Amino acid sequence: MKRLSVLALPLLLSCSSGKNYAQAVVALVDVSGTYADQKPEVVNVIKRGILPKLQPGDSIFVIRIDDESYKKANVEGGMTLDVRPSKANAQKLAFATQMDHFAAKRQRSRHTDIRGAMMLASEYLKETGAGQRTMVVFSDMEEDLPRGVKRTLAPDEFAGMRILAMNVKKLSADNMNPSVYRQRLASWQQQAKSHGAKEFQVVLEPEKLDELLEH
Amino acid sequence: MESLYLWPARPAASLLALWLLSQLFCWAARAPVHRAFRALGRVLAGAFRITARWCKSVSVSIAKRDREMVLEMGKGDAESKVAREFRRVEVTFAKELGRYPELHRKMDDLTARIDADYKECGNAAPTPPGWAEATAAVAKMPQNADNVVKKVLEEIHNTAKSGEKKALQEYRDSTAKRHKILNGMAPMLKELKDNAADAGKSVAAALETTKRIDAHMTTYEQIRKGEDKAVRAMGWQSTQLFVASLLVLGVAIGGAFVNFNLIALPMSELVPAGSRIGGMPVSTVAALVVVLMEVAAGIFAMEMLGITSFFPKLDLLPASRRRIILAVAVGGLLLLACIECSLAVLREQLVESATALKQSLAGVHEKAVADPAASRIPVVGQAVLGFILPWILAMVAVPLETLIATGGHIFLTLTAGVLALVGTGARLLGHASRYLVEGARHLYDIYIVLPLQIERLATGARPSISTAKQGARP
Repeated sequence: MKRLSVLALPLLLSCSSGKNYAQAVVALVDVSGTYADQKPEVVNVIKRGILPKLQPGDSIFVIRIDDESYKKANVEGGMTLDVRPSKANAQKLAFATQMDHFAAKRQRSRHTDIRGAMMLASEYLKETGAGQRTMVVFSDMEEDLPRGVKRTLAPDEFAGMRILAMNVKKLSADNMNPSVYRQRLASWQQQAKSHGAKEFQVVLEPEKLDELLEH
Repeated sequence: MESLYLWPARPAASLLALWLLSQLFCWAARAPVHRAFRALGRVLAGAFRITARWCKSVSVSIAKRDREMVLEMGKGDAESKVAREFRRVEVTFAKELGRYPELHRKMDDLTARIDADYKECGNAAPTPPGWAEATAAVAKMPQNADNVVKKVLEEIHNTAKSGEKKALQEYRDSTAKRHKILNGMAPMLKELKDNAADAGKSVAAALETTKRIDAHMTTYEQIRKGEDKAVRAMGWQSTQLFVASLLVLGVAIGGAFVNFNLIALPMSELVPAGSRIGGMPVSTVAALVVVLMEVAAGIFAMEMLGITSFFPKLDLLPASRRRIILAVAVGGLLLLACIECSLAVLREQLVESATALKQSLAGVHEKAVADPAASRIPVVGQAVLGFILPWILAMVAVPLETLIATGGHIFLTLTAGVLALVGTGARLLGHASRYLVEGARHLYDIYIVLPLQIERLATGARPSISTAKQGARP
């Protein structure tokens, strides 16, 4: 019997799929300028739209976009869910509490370093080794780097990743001339695609996020 | 089209010239074209005919094989029925004949006792000597004699009376004694009657069994002779069994689906939820494996109970080993049923936890509607289902065996039917193609009717009879 199980084990392992089905999601939350007021709403979207969609084994990270976002201190929270659903539920609850604390914090930065946060997010996503990697950016997508800060994306910076621009707030200039807003988003799309992103999509409704994060 | 015009500026003249040329060409090529049409017709008809013959022959051989299979199945079935009846007869006779000596002895005893009692009833007390008439005559003499004579006569009279009284008393005592003996015989007679009735019942049961054996033997004889009636009956019986087992299997698959859904979610607590096999989560595969293991355990249990016979080798095992395998199979089923029962309870807890999490993430703290989860009924219901379903799934072995056994007949019958249908279709297509080609040949002649008529007038010949005949019947 023992010999049989020893024989059966490699057979089963060989049958197991080499594809990684785990999902990793990084939410980038802008806390600069006028977008800082959106933080509670963004946290609600993370709690109601992203967290329930995660399965045991999936990972989630939340990174703050501020003056200089390429810092470990900008990671507001992160975890990889346990493989057992009961433990994973407990982890989700704890993470939700952590997000509530983040939402309650008063933060407002002068500059907006989106690419720095994206580079940090990209590193975290790559580290998880998840099969499906998604970056959800909550921002007005208007980058404003402080003087002296340089952000150069690697050609494969976003390789195999999906970038979702969520809840993109329109600035007053956008209202005056919508083509500015569209050009900004088109430029981000071009930038994302040229650095290996699988997809760049602007999501207007939070409900749409449910479908996009479906396994 | 215009590129074919001889004179592009004059299309009408060009078309006329083309038509004339085509008429001329077709008239000149008539004989080889006709041969080509005939050859084509022969080829097509031949191909379809060969297909039809092949289909028919295969269909016939399949039907023959099906018939042989049905006969073999019927023979085996009848043999097993006869064997079962003989086993019953053996058991009955062993039981009844085992009791027979005792019954016989009992009946002998009873008859001996009844006989003795009867003889005893026949013993009557001897009647008194013939003094009674003499003393009665003396007692009736007139009493006008002297006192001594009178006294003597009175004494004689008294003696006669007392004698008579004593005799009557003895008679009554004797009668009472006989009645008592006869009363004692009644239960013995009842017992004798009961014993006879028991023996009668046993004989009737034996006769009934022999009647059944006779019927089975008649069927067996019909099958052995390969009578069409028996084959049809067996075929119909197989179809009925197939449909019934298919229905039962459908229900069982529904049960397996419910069972699977009941344990798939909680299984993720036991096995790594992130891994997948062939795209399926390991927990789902594990739940599927558990359901299949229940079916397998059920098959072995049914096999060991002698209800099914999937594995002939297992039939050859000694009874002790069969009992061991049966115990392992039933024990495994019990274990799996208990595991499922606990998983069903765990499932309810997980669902509750997930609901609470969703509510918490959504910021809902108060319960807007009555909480059905507060009731323990769903948990108990799921636990009971989790315990019962494996046992029900275990029963799937019986319809599965029937389905496999009768599936061959159904498959062969369907194949033979489809081949016969294809054969008929091919035959029809063969005829149709032959007539179509012949029709095309006639259309060809119609197209060149003018040159043909001119040819006829010029030569004074009649149209070829052979062609006309061939046209009438290709």
